[in-house]
Order: sequence, then structure tokens, then C-alpha cells
Amino acid sequence: MGFAGNPEPSFVFPTVIATHGSSSSGSSGGKSTLSTPNRSGAGVPPPVASKPGHLASKRGIDDLDFFIGDEAIANSKTYALHYPIKHGMVDNWDHMERFWGQSIFKYLRAEPEDHYVLLRRERGLFEENPKTLFERTRMVSNAEAAVDLDTRRDGLCMGTEPPLNPPENRENTAEIMFESFNIQGLYIAVQAVLALAASWTSSKVTERNLTGVVIDSGDGVTHTIPVADGYVIGSSIKHIPIAGRNITEFVLNLLRDRGEQANIPSEDQLRVAERIKEDYTYVCQDIVKEIRKYDTDPYKYFARFAGEHSVTGRKYDIDIGYERFLAPEIFFNPEIYSSDFLTPLPEVVDNVIQTSPIDVRRGLYKNIVLSGGSTMFKDFGRRLQRDIKHIVDGRIANSEQASGNHMRSTGVDVNVVTHKRQRYAVWYGGSLMASTPEFYNVAHTKEQYEEYGPSLVRRFSVFGSSS
Amino acid sequence: MIQLENHNVIIQNVLTERFVKPGRVDINFVDYDNVRFHLSTPTSKTQLVLSMGIQCWRDLAKYGVNDMLESEYGEWLIRDGPEKEQEYDVSLMIDLEKIPEDEASRASFIYHLSMLKPMILSAPFRRAYETHKQLAAAHSPETSSAEEKQGDMMIIHYREEEAFVIQSSWDRITVYISTAFKEETDRVFGRVFLQEFVDARRLSNLQSAPQVLYTTREPPLELRGVPGLKKSDDMGYVTFVLFPRHFANEDIAKGSILQILTFRNYLHYHLKASKSYMHSRMRIRVHTFGQILNRAKPEVQAVERRTATGRTFRSR
Repeated sequence: MGFAGNPEPSFVFPTVIATHGSSSSGSSGGKSTLSTPNRSGAGVPPPVASKPGHLASKRGIDDLDFFIGDEAIANSKTYALHYPIKHGMVDNWDHMERFWGQSIFKYLRAEPEDHYVLLRRERGLFEENPKTLFERTRMVSNAEAAVDLDTRRDGLCMGTEPPLNPPENRENTAEIMFESFNIQGLYIAVQAVLALAASWTSSKVTERNLTGVVIDSGDGVTHTIPVADGYVIGSSIKHIPIAGRNITEFVLNLLRDRGEQANIPSEDQLRVAERIKEDYTYVCQDIVKEIRKYDTDPYKYFARFAGEHSVTGRKYDIDIGYERFLAPEIFFNPEIYSSDFLTPLPEVVDNVIQTSPIDVRRGLYKNIVLSGGSTMFKDFGRRLQRDIKHIVDGRIANSEQASGNHMRSTGVDVNVVTHKRQRYAVWYGGSLMASTPEFYNVAHTKEQYEEYGPSLVRRFSVFGSSS
Repeated sequence: MIQLENHNVIIQNVLTERFVKPGRVDINFVDYDNVRFHLSTPTSKTQLVLSMGIQCWRDLAKYGVNDMLESEYGEWLIRDGPEKEQEYDVSLMIDLEKIPEDEASRASFIYHLSMLKPMILSAPFRRAYETHKQLAAAHSPETSSAEEKQGDMMIIHYREEEAFVIQSSWDRITVYISTAFKEETDRVFGRVFLQEFVDARRLSNLQSAPQVLYTTREPPLELRGVPGLKKSDDMGYVTFVLFPRHFANEDIAKGSILQILTFRNYLHYHLKASKSYMHSRMRIRVHTFGQILNRAKPEVQAVERRTATGRTFRSR
């Protein structure tokens, strides 16, 4: 989370909250009744925290005794850790509300309420990103100098949601934001759209449109989301169960196969694998050639990694070989990692586009945008573009042949956009959009909320579709 | 987290990072009370410029904030001139080649910088201490009348509709803080909280705390003549009476200043937190009611059913 207009988020920490005492028993007890349909207004019944047992805790301040983010993990010995977001959906609204509260007051230090300021308006706008368990929460808050005297709407708040978020979740979010934090305006954006907006920074992008396929790869899962003019084509979204964590695991497997693992202390293994993944890997253009290259001249291509034991400080070093290019290869040849999922990423992207409405397909091929940390590999975009192009050209050739060579295609442009802000693309897109004046027109204001209630956020107005 | 922290976390984080590894930065961020910060490297990677804009700068300037800056940040301060950033009130230039070398003093230096906002806001308090000392020294019970014993009222409009007023006298310093509650619910909670502050002082272990008074709607009598204070339902006024023991030495004085400075945000933070707590209680209640409703299903009665000829069904 951070403030809009900045290139990078000020804080990045996992959505985790450490509370005192175990409330896990209460929430698991609540789960069993979830299967019965519940017609109460809030939609999903919340897995509740345990009841404050004795009278003393009712008068106390136990509910303030918690940590969030990295501090929570540091205190995990004495506190119980909870992840309020599960599989991309907010699961425990109590924790989420407290998490938001502390994020605003302790880290951003911004008043969520409006303040009528002369000559300047200040907006706190935060963006929340419930995606996967280890997904990071991002908050954007904006304090930008305004030239006009208009201070009508301050304290705008902005949230993002994963694709296919149920509208009840949006309503709950709106309720918390408006009721507890008195924010002045809220906009809930779809992550994919923000990722598209972030790609406008790339020099390759000439026109600012909101049509394209977003490949968002985080730690847990990779989504491919087609977006047409700012609207997500929900029926064509595909999830790929290969993402950052799998790559780390695969690196570890490869190290084990080559016997390098023996040199790494067991408690550091995951960390070392992560470092290797982040610092040494790249995507090769031809896997067979690459292996041959490594075999003929290993000294030139093998890298050395010097590590230090995190506890004893003992030094060790290991060789990094084939995993340098094999690790990201699991996106393109998933069979080398596991037999659970066998469709390569280029094929999935092609499928996604082919299942989209026919009149947007050209636009989708033209603008394939990468977002998230696991798309940061060197040459990832180039390889993806080549493979997709290959598939598309093959199909065109086939159909030309099928028509008896009477029809000639003009060819389809395939373009994969990579840019510098990929890692925090969603955050950056939010930061970008929030600093436009247009943001004030599309955000839902407090007056509107009071008029219509939380169902307001079901209505959706698209950002920047005209531009 | 019961108390809010005094320092700004972003300044601390960014500086800690940049001190180790210099690099370009250009970030805007905020702090409570409409304070804006801008941290940038306009010329070179080793020269960080930290600028701060605060709404009540003109008020503060009257009460000696410049002297305070000179003494606390003199080495780093950018005086008025072309180098100073426009639109901001204070600019500090941090030269990475001049910062302390060892870990501990570096950390304390960073902490000192991240305390920029509370430091600036504490300027009028320091002046109040000075005035108090003079008044206390000049005081003799027989001669002086009540009017002479009072120092000037220092009014700081730290937010648009809210202000704090400091007045020193020969035996005490009085701080009046006004705060606005925007929401109906907040107002109710706020009243309870303020009452709680008054009541809490009756506890035996809190006897040495400063006296706290509060009024809602109308400012306290002492402030009737002060311009710019609003009279409406959503205003609350809190008065702290500091006795000499609350600013007996440097550390205690600093502590009480910081506590008072964060008071307003502290109050609002706790309003939000108690609303969150209420919400979680409500969710529990809704959940238990839901369970009761789910249990209350009409039971299917096992009536024996016969055909017209009187034969019964066999249930398998």
C-alpha cells in the first residue's frame, strides 16, 4: 500500500493478522453451518471470532491487541496468525476490518475521513487486493496538490477485487469502508483492468485502450483474464495452477536431482530456491539447444551462488545449472514439473482468446499484458509472444488451406507487453488511475452510499474507457 | 496497538533503506492533520530533500517554530531561498555523506527525522513552558491580580474546523483541544469516550494524570472570546490542565507534549476501533441468530398414509 502518484507502493506486506488467543476454533465451528443457504442480508455468514468469554475481556481492550503484516509474522510465537483472505476472497470480515484499521492508522497515517482543506485536497484512497493467501495487500492513498478550490470530495477510497468476486464481498467492503471509516468515496476496481492501465507506461503501447488479456501470476495461481473495453469477460477467464510457489518447488527438485541440495542447510532451502528463482533464472528460446549449450561448456553457463547459514553463519556455495532456464520453463512445458496440469501457458492464452467474442479477439491478441512477480523472468514476454504467434499462424495457415487457398488472411498481430512496473502492476495501475481527475467522477461517494446503501457498488462504471 | 506512534513510518522505512543503499526517490505521502510530505532526490542520489507542508504553519510561525527548527534540525535545514521547495513549509536536506556512521546513532538520527511533524507542532508548547517559567518566577501571592497571571492564548488551527489553544499561567498550563465528529455514530461514541476520560481520573492509580474536562457543543467559558471556533452539535472540546509536575524535566515535558499532540487522532482511531469491535459483536450475534433460525425448521410429521382400500405403504 502507498500513496497514489508514486511509482512504488510504500508498504508491501502479507495480509496476515496476529491476534491474541485462539479464535480458530470458533471459525472452524462456524464453517460447518455454512452449507445451509442463508438469506440474511450480508450474504455469506461470517466465520466468527470466538466470543469474548469472561466479563473482564468485555471491558478490556483485547480487540486492539493485534499486529498485522510483517510484525504479525514476527510475533507469531505468542500470537495466533490468521489469514483473513482465503483463495482470493475475504473470509473473516472481523479480521479484515481490523487489518484495514491498523493499516490506515499505523502505516499510512492518513485520516480516512474527509478534511476540508483550503487550496488543497487530500484523498486517502486505498486499494485492497484480496487474491491468495500470500497475496500482498496494497493500499494507495493520495495526497496530491490540487489547483482548484474544490474540496467537495476528499478521502476517496479505492479497492480492487479479484476476477469473479461475488458482489456480496463488494457490498461488505463498502459497508466497512463507509460505516466504520467514514471515507468519502469508494471505487472498487478490477485488478485486471488496473494491470492494463499500468501497461500504458510501456513504450510499446501507443494507444491507451482497455482491451487486452492480462496474465497475472502471483505466488499461488496464475490467471488469464480477457478484458474488453474495461469489462472483464468472465466466462473466458482461465486459472492455471502454476505460479511462483511451484517454480520455487521445481528449483528445489532440480537441485535435489543434481545432488546440490546436500550443500544447503535444510532450513534455508526454500529461501535459497527463492533467491535462485528471483536472481538467476531466464527464459530460453529453445530448450534443447540450451541444454546442449550447458553440456558442452558448463563452466561458462553454470553460476555460483554463495550463501550463508541463517543461524550459524557458516558459508556454503552451490552451483546453479539447468534450473536457470528450466524453472520458468514450466509455464511453457508443464509436463516437466507435474502431470496434474499439462496445458502450456501460450495454449491457455490462445484458448482464452478463442472463447471470447469474435469481434474483440484481434484486440486481445494485440495487447497481452503481464502482471505480477512471476512474470518477471527475462525474455518471458518474448517467448510467450513467439509461441502464441506460432499457434495463431498455424491456425491461419490451416484455415487458408481448408478454404482451398481462395481466402488470404491479413495476419493477426500478436503482441505481449512487458514493462518495468510489472511486479506491482496492479498497484501502479491503481496509483495511476487514482491521480487522474476522472477518478472523482467514477468513484461512489458517501452521499450516494447513504442514498442507495451498499448495493451501490454492484453498479460498475468503467474507468478511462473513453480515453 | 493502543497508542498511536509519534513518528512517521514511511520516513523511517525509506531513510533506513536509502542510508544503506542510496538511490533515486520521489514520493509523496501524508501524515495526520493534513500534513503533506515530499521526499525526493532532486540533484543527486546522495542528497535527499524532505519537505513538509502543514496547514497551521502561519500560526506556528508566530509561536517560534523557526527557532525550534534551527535548534533541532539546524544542520540540515534549507533556509528560505530558491533551493527550498515551493508549496511546502519546511525543507530538510539530508546529505548521505554527512550522516553518522555507526548503527545506533544512525537509527536515532532517522528517528529524529521521522519525528519532524511532532517536533514542529511542539513549538508552541515549548513557548508555553517558557512563559510559565517567567510567570511562576514573577509570581508573588500578595501583589498580582488574576489577570496578570495569565499568558497569551496561543491558537493553532491545526485542522480546518479544529484548533488547539494553549494558555500558560503561573501555576499551570491549560490546553484546549477542539475536535469535530462528522458522523452521528462518531458523535455518540465520542461523547462516551470523553466522559470516560473524565471518569478514569477518579481511579486511584491515575491521580497524577492531568485534569481533564470536556464539553460538547459549546466551547468552554475561557474560550468564549476566541474567534474561529464553531458552535455546533458535532464539536467536542477537551481541556487538559497540566500542572508543573507534568513538565518538570525535559523528558516528562516531551512525553506530555507528544501525548497531547496525538490526542485528537488517538480519539478518532479509537472511535473507529470500537466501531470495528461493535461490528464484530454484531456479526457474532447475527451468526448465532442465524443458527437458531436454521434449527427452527418445521418437523416433517410422520402421518401414516393409507390408500382408499385401507392398505398402508411400506417404507423401505
